[in-house]
Parts: sequence; C-alpha cells; structure tokens
Amino acid sequence: MALRMWASSTANALRISCASKAHLSPAFSLSRCFSSVLDGLKYASSHEWVKHEGPVATIGITDHAQDHLGEVVFVELPEPGGSVSQGSSFGAVESVKATSDINSPISGEVVEVNSKLTESPGLINKSPYEDGWMIKLKPSNPSELESLMGSKEYTKFCEEEDAAH
Amino acid sequence: MRIPRSLEVWKMGTVNYLDALKLQEKLVADRKTRKIADTVLSLQHPPTYTLGKRRTDHNLLIPESELKMIGAELCYTQRGGDITFHGPHQAILYPIISLRDIGIGARNYVEKLELTMIELASLYGVRACAGQKGETGVWVGERKIGAIGVRISYGITSHGLAFNIDPDLSYFKHIVPCGIADKEVTSLRKETDSLLPTEEVIQEQLISCFARLFGYSNLIWKEKGLIFSDNGEN
Repeated sequence: MALRMWASSTANALRISCASKAHLSPAFSLSRCFSSVLDGLKYASSHEWVKHEGPVATIGITDHAQDHLGEVVFVELPEPGGSVSQGSSFGAVESVKATSDINSPISGEVVEVNSKLTESPGLINKSPYEDGWMIKLKPSNPSELESLMGSKEYTKFCEEEDAAH
Repeated sequence: MRIPRSLEVWKMGTVNYLDALKLQEKLVADRKTRKIADTVLSLQHPPTYTLGKRRTDHNLLIPESELKMIGAELCYTQRGGDITFHGPHQAILYPIISLRDIGIGARNYVEKLELTMIELASLYGVRACAGQKGETGVWVGERKIGAIGVRISYGITSHGLAFNIDPDLSYFKHIVPCGIADKEVTSLRKETDSLLPTEEVIQEQLISCFARLFGYSNLIWKEKGLIFSDNGEN
C-alpha cells in the first residue's frame, strides 16, 4: 500500500512537472465514478454490452470500458457474413498505443458492422451505447444471453473490479 | 491486507524478434489459463524494424530490399502503435501480466509503462516526461528516449516498452519513428553526464522500476539457461 501511494504521488509530481500531460485530467478515479450503465442491456465480464431486439443483437463496449481504454484511434471489425462465438475475439480497438481484443458476449452470424467507426473511431468514446456500436449479430444460441449480467449486476461488478485496483 | 504479488523475471540476453514473439504468444496462452504467474521478459533484439497492427509501411523510408544491406529485418506485429526500431543497446521489457487481476485498463497500464522509463531516466539525472496527446512514449524535451507498443488479449498483456540505452541512432533515420515527423530520437548515453554502469545493471534497474510501479513485492529471477531447461522439463 505504501508503495502504491508512493507510486501515485510520483505520478502526480511528474504530471505537474510535465504540463503536456493535461489530457490525463480529470483524475482517473473521478471520471470512473460517472461511467454510465444502461438498463435493458446485457453485459459481459469483459465489458461488452448486448442489446437484443427481435432477430438482431447489437454489440458494443461499455462506458466503463471506453474510459479505461482512453482515446480510441483505430477499430478493426470483422466482415459481415462471418460467424463469432461467445467469449472469442471478433475485432480490436487501438488506444494510446495499446491494441485490445474485443470479445463477443454471444455467438452468432455477423449481419452488419458499424463502418462509421473506420472514419471516426472516437465515436466509441463519445457514444459507447449508441453511435459507437460495433457489430450486429443474428444470435445462434439466444439462451447465451441469460448467462450475461443485467445493469445492476454489471454496475456492482465494475465497482468491485475498480476497488481491487 | 494484500497478498504479496509475485513477478517472474526472465533475463534472456539477445533474442531474435520472431523467437521472442512466438514465446510471448505461448506465455499469453499459459497466463490466460493460469498455468503461469505474471511474467516479464527482459532482453535485447538484433536490428529489427517492426510495424503495428495498422501496417503503416509508408513510415519506412528505405526500400525493403535495402534492409539487408544495413543488417536489419522487418517484422509485422499485432501490437498497437506505429513503426519502430529495435536493436543492440536498447533495453526491452515484455510484460505478460493479467490486467483484470490488477483491475487496471489499457490507458492506466500504458501510463505506468511510461513512468517506468521516466524513473529509470531520473536515476541518471535525465528529466524525461510522457508524450503529449497522441505521442505516447517517453521524451527528453523534443527527443524520444523510450517507445511503447502493447497488445491486450483477454486482459493479458504482451509486447511492451523499449528504452534506448545507447543504440546506433542512425537506424532511426530510415523511419518516421512512431509516425511522428520532425522529432528526434535520443538515448540515455547522449542525455546523461553520469558514467553508465553495464547494460545488465541498467536492465535490472528498469525491472525494479517496473516492479515497484506495478506493486510486485516478490521477484523470481530466471536466467536464460534455466528458462530453457525449465521448458524442457515441462
């Protein structure tokens, strides 16, 4: 704990000494408190959401996920027509020189991808639940949705994960 | 009370880029299934240019056919970031750690990698700082001393950081480092007036900075020979 405090105070000191670090504010813990979680969606422990409407399920990453990633500068999406399976990677996002795989919360056939993200990857940060959606699937096993978390459960999950940090 | 966290440190000397890549892939799979603890590879590469997932070939300024003449290879990778150069006298750390276990995200992870290099530089009186927006990495004024490129898969990290102790900086003339034009590359040797210890000592200091920033209290050191005999037994 002492080490951690020392590390964070060093971090603060360095940020103050480097005026260029302004993009790091507001403080990490502060912005984290305001991550939004929408009712009516299902959530995976790897921080993706699913909105199931009729025959189609829309998938994206949560507000909590985009906040932890930082500014997204590149998005890699699958080709429509391909299939994805629950828990496996269907694409990737690049932020701050880190490429992160995005896992699918459910299995199915890819019917549409959000091609706007190629031109405007930042939509994932600005509007993670609306304009920043990533793919639409025809679910092959809708019962998988039941294994996912609801909004209350996911909010609690995020709080616990942040507390571990 | 937090349980003391362990980090396995593999001191590997000089390793070919693609061999190190294959090893990382295996370790990521082993870390994902919890066969191994958090691990960091400490090594150097022979002269190699590498590109990230975006495959920004245009930032390589000499024809691929001429690479052989300057004794360098070109490799494509799945990490984030633009083109970079790795070579002798550059300290490399490839952490294979579970971010989900620590509860931090990509942004926070990269910031800690930056701090690792900033702290190492400060040991030699060099005041380095993190880059401006879109210029991740570690800088001394307008000159880049450390580079970062990371891949995160199922919450497990691979690739990592490269810190210039005293590499042949002329290799950087053939690329637009990290895709940023009009910026110079520098090294610890160029920036410090202090007498440098051996590179092995500097690489150990880099590992210590990393372990401290990430809160590892228990370091298990493994030398190259031991690593390979370990693998043989398994």
